[in-house]
Amino acid sequence: MDKIEEILNSICQGKSREEKPEGRWLEDPALDVEKMAVVMVEAGARLVTVSASCLDTGEFRLIYHWDVDGSLLNCVTLTRQGSLPGIAGICPAAQWIEMEIRDYYAVNFTGRDLPSLMLNDRDSAGIFARKFQRRQKTGGRP
Amino acid sequence: MSYTIPIGPYHPALEEPCKVQVTCEGETVQDVALSVRYNFRGVEWLAERRNYQQAVALVERVCGICSNVHTLTFCAAVERLAGLTVSERAQYIRTIVVELERLASHALWAGIAAEVIGFQTLFMTCFALREQLMDLLENMSGNRVHYGMNCIGGVTRDLADPGAVLDVARNVRQAVGDRLIPLFANDRTVRARCAGIGKLSRELALAWGVVGPNARASGLIEDIRRTSPYAAYDKLDFEVPVETTGDVLARVVVRLLEMVESCRIIEQAVEAAPPGPIHGPDFVEVPQGEAVARSEAPRGELFYYVASDGTDVPCRVKIRTPSFVNIPVVRPMMIGANLADVALINASIDPCYSCTSR
Repeated sequence: MDKIEEILNSICQGKSREEKPEGRWLEDPALDVEKMAVVMVEAGARLVTVSASCLDTGEFRLIYHWDVDGSLLNCVTLTRQGSLPGIAGICPAAQWIEMEIRDYYAVNFTGRDLPSLMLNDRDSAGIFARKFQRRQKTGGRP
Repeated sequence: MSYTIPIGPYHPALEEPCKVQVTCEGETVQDVALSVRYNFRGVEWLAERRNYQQAVALVERVCGICSNVHTLTFCAAVERLAGLTVSERAQYIRTIVVELERLASHALWAGIAAEVIGFQTLFMTCFALREQLMDLLENMSGNRVHYGMNCIGGVTRDLADPGAVLDVARNVRQAVGDRLIPLFANDRTVRARCAGIGKLSRELALAWGVVGPNARASGLIEDIRRTSPYAAYDKLDFEVPVETTGDVLARVVVRLLEMVESCRIIEQAVEAAPPGPIHGPDFVEVPQGEAVARSEAPRGELFYYVASDGTDVPCRVKIRTPSFVNIPVVRPMMIGANLADVALINASIDPCYSCTSR
């Protein structure tokens, strides 16, 4: 069993996995992101970034991209009522990433107060989530 | 008694806006607050409102220094989504241009570092070297900054004069080896300003996800060209320089050694590039799906995530630039440092605020 397979088994068993040229993908809407972060940090993995996008349900799809000894592992999960536990306390690399996602999508990362990273103090968070609202009005076209 | 000094948004070493608020006790830095919001342009948001061809031109404008690697990485993600295979010659040309861009970027950084150190002659030497590279890139592409070399499925231009590329690569390799490395590594002024300053441990570099020359100067052996080869890197022989001291001097040395390796890569690529087509298809159909692509930009790993809903407009473009993960470690690097070294420590990570804010 390779290192990534071991990591995947520790994070969650029996969930949808896919092998692509750029790396492995794990899809689990109820992923325990704090447990994932602990396992990854212990394995010496590097958090590359987190990609967020809007869903029609009003929730957000988050992909945690990890570099494990040069291979990419992408863990996909969903927010729960717009929130997800923050992992910056476990993995410092997540600090700015979570701040930026909060600015762009107003995702609430629980566990700490996030100051704004990219927006001015008078701007409200969620500027990219406005696209979701507009798409609903225009029937899916940007 | 502590006092706070706001440095920026106009940075003393760079012509880009960033604010570093330094809290000092005497001349020792106690805390640092960083603000990087001044260049926010919403490039990701804009890319989701343009078709794929337009998005190539847009992402090239994320940065004025590493513009080419942005288009290369975006195109690689789209090619993965569309199932396109890039011709071998186009892969070699992409490699040559991206390495020339790395050389120009590192020469620019070395010049800025020399100026911050207060070594004007060295600054002029670095910029004279960079000018050769800029002239070559202009001759190859018609532009000094945004080269417009990459398109989805290939490149837009062939190598018009391979001999000129070889000449510049050899000149730069000789100049770096004979002049820059001895000057930066051995000069007393440079050593006094750089050795032991702005240290970043290997553990801290990994925890903060630091990438590129900054990570390699702290002993992390990672380079996307080696770990996940793209373009023609898997066919070329090159070393990945690594230092372990993690100080400003280590970051200087790693970048200079990388310049030598870039020249070697260019020389090999020019000689090995096979004849053949270079262009991609005129029309690209991108099916529904998602893909990521990574490349080694001059400042480290560049990451693109592209999602498609099957239309000609991407429904999500995520860009994670190397500076976005490198800039936060400036804080631990500066704490405990002398106030006079703040500008140099900041410049030593080669920050790009345009990339960071996007």
